[in-house]
Amino acid sequence: MMGKLWPNILKELLLLFRDYMGLLVIFLMPVALVIVVTLVQQNLMQQGFLGSMGETKTKTFFLDRDGQTVGPKLEEILKKANTLEIIKELKGTTIDVETAKDAVARGDYQLAIIVPEGTTKAFIYNAKQAARNSLSSGDTKNASPEKKTVVVPDLIVYFDPTVTETVRTSVKNSLKMALIDIETDEKIKAFAARLPIEIEAAEKKAMGDMWSDEVKKSLPVLSIAWDKTPIMAVKENAAQLGKQTKIPSAIQQNIPAWTLFGMFFIVVPLGGSLLRERQSGMLVRLLTLPMSCLTILTGKIVAYVLICMAQFGLVLAVGKFLLPLLGTAVLEVGSSPMTLIIIALSAALAACGYGILLGTMARTYEQASSFGAVSVVIAAAIGGIMVPVFAMPSLMQKISLFSPLSWGLNAFLDVFVRGGNIRSVLSDVTLLVLFFLVTTLTAWFNLSRKGRIRIQ
Amino acid sequence: MENHKVIADTSRAIALSVQGLTKTYSGAARPAVNGLTISIPEGEALGLLGPNGAGKTTAISIMSTLMKPTSGSVAICGIDAVRRPSEVKNLIGYVPQEVALYPTLSARENLRFLGRIYGMKGRELEDRIVECLDFVGLAESADQYVAKFSGGMKRRANLAAGILNKPKVLFLDEPTVGIDPQSRNLILEKLATMKESTTMIYTTHYMGEVENLCSSVAIMDAGGIIVEGTPEELINRIPGCANLEDVFIALTGRNLRD
Repeated sequence: MMGKLWPNILKELLLLFRDYMGLLVIFLMPVALVIVVTLVQQNLMQQGFLGSMGETKTKTFFLDRDGQTVGPKLEEILKKANTLEIIKELKGTTIDVETAKDAVARGDYQLAIIVPEGTTKAFIYNAKQAARNSLSSGDTKNASPEKKTVVVPDLIVYFDPTVTETVRTSVKNSLKMALIDIETDEKIKAFAARLPIEIEAAEKKAMGDMWSDEVKKSLPVLSIAWDKTPIMAVKENAAQLGKQTKIPSAIQQNIPAWTLFGMFFIVVPLGGSLLRERQSGMLVRLLTLPMSCLTILTGKIVAYVLICMAQFGLVLAVGKFLLPLLGTAVLEVGSSPMTLIIIALSAALAACGYGILLGTMARTYEQASSFGAVSVVIAAAIGGIMVPVFAMPSLMQKISLFSPLSWGLNAFLDVFVRGGNIRSVLSDVTLLVLFFLVTTLTAWFNLSRKGRIRIQ
Repeated sequence: MENHKVIADTSRAIALSVQGLTKTYSGAARPAVNGLTISIPEGEALGLLGPNGAGKTTAISIMSTLMKPTSGSVAICGIDAVRRPSEVKNLIGYVPQEVALYPTLSARENLRFLGRIYGMKGRELEDRIVECLDFVGLAESADQYVAKFSGGMKRRANLAAGILNKPKVLFLDEPTVGIDPQSRNLILEKLATMKESTTMIYTTHYMGEVENLCSSVAIMDAGGIIVEGTPEELINRIPGCANLEDVFIALTGRNLRD
């Protein structure tokens, strides 16, 4: 069989290399999709439109109408959080509220934060009152009657209307945390100032004539320079199968997804190739030659699996070398390259099986190309290529279990981001190989059922 | 209906022997081929004629190992073609109705691929390719894509592909359909030169081709042979017939067949 397989493989490759449209579909389309979709999603993620704050800062106007201490402190805390890009001037001119509102409304900027006039004064006053009230008791209370707090003006935030609720909540929480931080500082400061006064008053009253400056010196001095290191921290870890600790990036999601999409798109040229042989009488001629139908189909499958592997390598190279030049993260391929090759091989086989089946079922090239393309797009959509499976409604999540692209994607992500190995992807790989066997055997049976060829 | 015909020059070995060949397609009301029996000695050309649906293509498909019969036997050069098709395939050549070549490969590349499947390689293969292309007048167009050939050139390339392995038995299924007279003439001339070494089974709707090329003729209808003999015998046997076409019409009627 091998002696006759090789000419079949060479013939298929030669035919393919002369089919320029087929080459475009096989190589250019997945590369273009990977580049475009990754860059688009990267950009969206950077702007925080995908539910996270992204990898770059959200452009934010910061207008300090108060001009005292709260504004700079708030600005400092927000800068440390490293999620917002603080903009205070436009072309060297200080921004007013109306300009900021208009710019945000136009979508040029995502946020405008305005610290109102009188904020610091009200803050300090209320902090002092809080300290005074919390330390006052008994006679000192009489000596210093409780005063009411004043209303602190609201911190005003304008959002670009297209900013998602998730991002709004995230920003609002950040601001609340920052204000609590400032408030705590002010209260501690007020408390630290108030406490010695209260103690001194209480001691004086208790000691009467015995009170002296020596006693005053013996009173403890309260420092407000508290260590702000959190007593308890939140540690974020990725749930993982192996030892890998990388967090998945946009590129790690998109490279395997669109590689699979490209692989399955070979059903169009592969199905078309078999269909043309059927229509032109070439298949009949081939079957009068001293080789079996199995050799003919195997020749096609091997040739197209080689093409799929080249496609896989090309898209990986794009993710590894080209996309980082365009500003994305570098593709991390996990710790088990052999597992990746096995996944790619099984996905390529599944795609070839489907292509062969399509070639035996379609009656015209238009049928093969349109049905092939549409069915792959649908399988990709339900398989999580375009929208992650976890983001789908529960019914679609169940349906996605039947998409070969979902099996392939899950296996790739196991290795890319969950530190998986051959054991963890075995079930997905098995499903892909079973899909290949079922489709190929159905195609074989299909040819035989039509009574057009003899199967040996 | 005469279904047990032997067209034979008994002094020569039998190249093709078909005995009681029947093929009934699944769901069909009647068999496509019904008890066909023919024997063709080496070096003879049999013209297999018949209206559309007579069973010619089915019969040729079975004889050339493409299809299994419902019953009956086929032997090519003494080898059972039904049970041992892989052995028979090296002995036969097939020229289908369609131009069964890859249009985006050159004539030479097409023949090189087919030759490799026959187990030829190296200088032997390249020489044989040149010989075949020269035989059909395509030596100068050997490296041109088949897609760029004229209809006649494609048909000639189709013939070259069918004779690449020097077949003992060559099946030709309407090999001259839709081509110019010059190309048809060349094909028939070349086939005539092959008659001594190659047994041919030739189906066509052009009666003149059969008269010129074939030493014997069998007219099929409804899956069986209704008459056989040399062209002259048939013309003389049916009263009022001046040529093979008259014989054909007289035997199969004037009703259109779809």
